[in-house]
Amino acid sequence: MARVLVVDDAAFMRKVVSDALASGGHDVIGEAGNGVEAIDRFRELKPELTMLDITMPEKTGLEALAEIMAIDPSARVLMCSALGQESKVIESIKLGAKDFVVKPFQPDRLLEAVGKALA
Amino acid sequence: MSGADLTQRDALMRLGASTAEAIAQVLEMFAPGAVERGEVSVLAEGASAFSGISRGSVAASVSYVDGVTGANIFVLTSAGVRKLAQAMGMPAAEGGEDAELSELELSAVGEASNQMMAAAASAIGVVLGQEIAISPPGIRVLDNPEAAADTYGTSPHATSTTFLIGGESCRLIQLVPNAFVVRMARALDDLSAEQAGADDDRGGSDRERAGKAQTVALVEALTEIKLRVWAELGRTDLALGRALGLPLGSVVELDQPADAPVELFVNGLRFAQGHLIVTDDGEWAFQCDAVGGRTAADAITPQPPTSPLPQEEEGALT
Repeated sequence: MARVLVVDDAAFMRKVVSDALASGGHDVIGEAGNGVEAIDRFRELKPELTMLDITMPEKTGLEALAEIMAIDPSARVLMCSALGQESKVIESIKLGAKDFVVKPFQPDRLLEAVGKALA
Repeated sequence: MSGADLTQRDALMRLGASTAEAIAQVLEMFAPGAVERGEVSVLAEGASAFSGISRGSVAASVSYVDGVTGANIFVLTSAGVRKLAQAMGMPAAEGGEDAELSELELSAVGEASNQMMAAAASAIGVVLGQEIAISPPGIRVLDNPEAAADTYGTSPHATSTTFLIGGESCRLIQLVPNAFVVRMARALDDLSAEQAGADDDRGGSDRERAGKAQTVALVEALTEIKLRVWAELGRTDLALGRALGLPLGSVVELDQPADAPVELFVNGLRFAQGHLIVTDDGEWAFQCDAVGGRTAADAITPQPPTSPLPQEEEGALT
């Protein structure tokens, strides 16, 4: 079971993701609502896994991902994308993200992707 | 009405229809069977895009910020917000249906708008041949709908599309700058010209030949765009609670008989009908029986597709 940082600008999605992670026995150690907060919280909490939304204010998920990977090249990041953001998903994988889930998703799909990212 | 006016209106109708189709697809994922798409209308110049909106409605706005610009504002009643939020998994409001909307309910609608407009941006991007980026959503309760234009600005062009979610009416307003309409019209013109050119590719002036060459270049560029394609066997309504608790081995019946045609979707647009076959490698494949109104009986010789999307999508323009 992993210590997870959940990043999404929508409080609703942070709750959905956090509830799903908790149901799978994971420990949500922090949340962030934009890319800038995500980087600060990543430095502070050193999570084992970061769930990262793509479209966010202040700093996008891709920008935050690039900085997180620069801080810790072994960081495990799972992207949350919407339907139609395939090109951004490919870019995020190139930047070092482990995998992605497409919203809306079922908790099982999220936990499966988390399991693979942590393997 | 001049030819230019027709082209501009066609472009706006196509924009509205493509957006509405993509949005309806996403809404269907949240509330299967509970979504109805209404008419797309192009607002007359000078008409207020926000007329008829009741006080206390909620507006979720997402803008196109790269590739093209323009604002998309999804307006719901507070009851509509609650229904959509519950369809997305929110529990019923503790204070009953009349309780004030919570931050989480408003956030859910913002997230829905984000997902809807990401899908719409992808669909429009296919037509324009360019990726379109969207902004994070903004949520606002319209205490004074008459002043909404001050908040969201005005635009030379606007479309309005109505939806019903669980019986609650909502509306998508698109504020469209001139440049967006021009690009959309040009893309549609080029695709139309390419089709016409296939029927008459001899003769004409230098200008016409140059135009055809440009069209061919555009179509060659468009044919390289990757599209998301899927086949749909059927649909059904399933309560969220039942969906989440489906036991292993359970059977979910769909609304289509086993021998009904399978529908093929291309980036959210219903594109073809046909049936599934199994290839020699043991993989599923889709055999087209009807594409864009053409049936197998019409085919003389196999032709490669000359445009990535049908010119008139059945049911897309209302």
